Amino acid sequence: MHDISDLERRGTPGVFVASAPFISAAETQSNALGFPPAGLFTEHPIQDRTDEEMKVLAEKIFDDLVKALLA
Amino acid sequence: MGNNRPKLANGFVAFVKKDCPTCELIVPVLEHLTESQVLRTIFTQDDPSFPNLPITSDDTSLEVSFLHEIETVPTLLKIQDGVEVDRTVGWSQETWKAFLGIDNLGPGNIRPYSPGCGSLSVDPDLQGILQKKYGSGVASREVVFASAEDEFEAMYDRGWSDGLPLIPPTIERVKAMLAGSERRPDEVIAVVPPNLVDLTVEKVAINAVMAGCKPEYLPVVITALETACTDQFNMHGLLATTMPVGPVIFINGPIRKSIGMNSGMNLLGQGNRANSTIGRAVQLTIRNVGGGRPGEVDRATHGSPAKYGLCFAEDEEGSPWPSYAQDLGFSANQNTVTLFPGEGPRMIVDQLSRSPDELARSLAKGIIGNIHPKLVMGFDAILIIGPEHASRFAEAGWTKDQVNEEIINHSIRETDELIRGADGISEGLPEVFAGSTLPKLRPGGGLIILHGGGAAGLFSATIGGWITGDKGSIYQTREITL
Amino acid sequence: MTTSVLDPTDEQTPEHRERAKRISTLEGATIGLLDISKPRGDVFLDTVQSLLEQKGATVVRYIKPTFTKPAPVDLRHEISTTCDAVIEALAD
Repeated sequence: MHDISDLERRGTPGVFVASAPFISAAETQSNALGFPPAGLFTEHPIQDRTDEEMKVLAEKIFDDLVKALLA
Repeated sequence: MGNNRPKLANGFVAFVKKDCPTCELIVPVLEHLTESQVLRTIFTQDDPSFPNLPITSDDTSLEVSFLHEIETVPTLLKIQDGVEVDRTVGWSQETWKAFLGIDNLGPGNIRPYSPGCGSLSVDPDLQGILQKKYGSGVASREVVFASAEDEFEAMYDRGWSDGLPLIPPTIERVKAMLAGSERRPDEVIAVVPPNLVDLTVEKVAINAVMAGCKPEYLPVVITALETACTDQFNMHGLLATTMPVGPVIFINGPIRKSIGMNSGMNLLGQGNRANSTIGRAVQLTIRNVGGGRPGEVDRATHGSPAKYGLCFAEDEEGSPWPSYAQDLGFSANQNTVTLFPGEGPRMIVDQLSRSPDELARSLAKGIIGNIHPKLVMGFDAILIIGPEHASRFAEAGWTKDQVNEEIINHSIRETDELIRGADGISEGLPEVFAGSTLPKLRPGGGLIILHGGGAAGLFSATIGGWITGDKGSIYQTREITL
Repeated sequence: MTTSVLDPTDEQTPEHRERAKRISTLEGATIGLLDISKPRGDVFLDTVQSLLEQKGATVVRYIKPTFTKPAPVDLRHEISTTCDAVIEALAD
């Protein structure tokens, strides 16, 4: 989130993707930074997924990712 | 936020404190008025259980008392549509009867009159705290920074800075700044370009705090902004032009000294708080309130360090001549601010001229270089004559008018040298001007002469102007309103 | 530390920091994919990359050395000068 905050400060729009348990951490950090970066959340957990499952996760979230980058 | 008083229920409300003998005295009356449902609420300032009645309301925070400007207890307010329409102060049987519109105040055997006591909300020891807590008295939005935001970074992040650090405009600082002017915070003093936004004294004060001004500079900043936002000065044009110009501000009159401005050594340079921050406050206000930001409406090709704010004072005390303001008909006791649409300053060296005529020629040569040596008449100039140069003229008995006239005379050019193509340079006047002469500076106003600078140095400084006249900007002087 | 100040502007913008201006189309845009170096993130980003490319975007991949710290300043500079927009993934 610090990376996106800094990149946005440099004028580059950004979005981060995290798994669901990060929602509250992201909110806390966003409140503390006084800046609400665009963030999207996937199902948890991630690290034990098969390639095929990861691909489905990415496909499911892709439209929202694009929306977060476009005006 | 203009009126931030909490709304009250319609009817009558009372303010009391236990520590007041008058309030103690009238407890039976309050009981009667509660039972007969004449009173809606009794706000108590020091003891939530006094008087021990169902309509007693805890105001030990003093918020309601403070915001309703209760100065004495007991006080009765009459509330209609949530706001006060009348009040009576202290205890008087007859007044209360008339005020409440009733004949019976209950027990008839208490003292019919007692003046009451001071309200806790006006206790001098508590004033600062209450003022800070409830008495914002400001109309501007409060911006609350997040816990991990660095306050200085937070101001950069919001785009408020000209690139240099800003002083955080806290309510306390802004209020202290507002005390520097007699004008009301909500007075609209100008409409600021480019977004044509109403500019209040309060917004000027906020930007003046950020710029680093002291409260006593505020009248100067306000008058400078009033001047900048006139049609004649055309601040919008100055912002939008690709040329590196901004409002160059100079001050005349006693305020120069009282606020500690520099008119001597290094007057155009760093080191003096008033010189450094007044011009910056003007520029920050235009940036933040008007929306005039570099890269947006501000299209300057190169810009100039002077665009951070260029402000100085004329050296009147050391001058052999009347001040610029006096030349315009102001008295020595009047304070004025002049705005000139100009670039950064540039020096003119002449360490050898002994006669005034030589020196006038030499200074004219220096000014001819402004903008472009082949472009004439369209651009005015300031000449800040240094004390050593000024004394050359003064010793010879030259008046300022004479110096001005001679410099303009010596700036006269053969137009054959100025037309397009002359000297192997395309830039220049159209062919139709050939075969004549023209001065660099328009006679009758093209040159402003000021006196200023350090005692040593056979130099003067010039500030080149932007396009003069209706198509550009016309420099302006105003008396400073305190 | 100061927590509250008065707004010096015309108050037409939100009081919190605003997000950077978004891009108008993916077609022809350069999108940075910043991998925070957590396991499986690369597979996720591979899919995102191919979907972005199908929409006409050019994708540039970046990996930050460790997910435990913000990306080094040179990397952030490079991303901001190369890319029109950036996607950071995948925190788990």
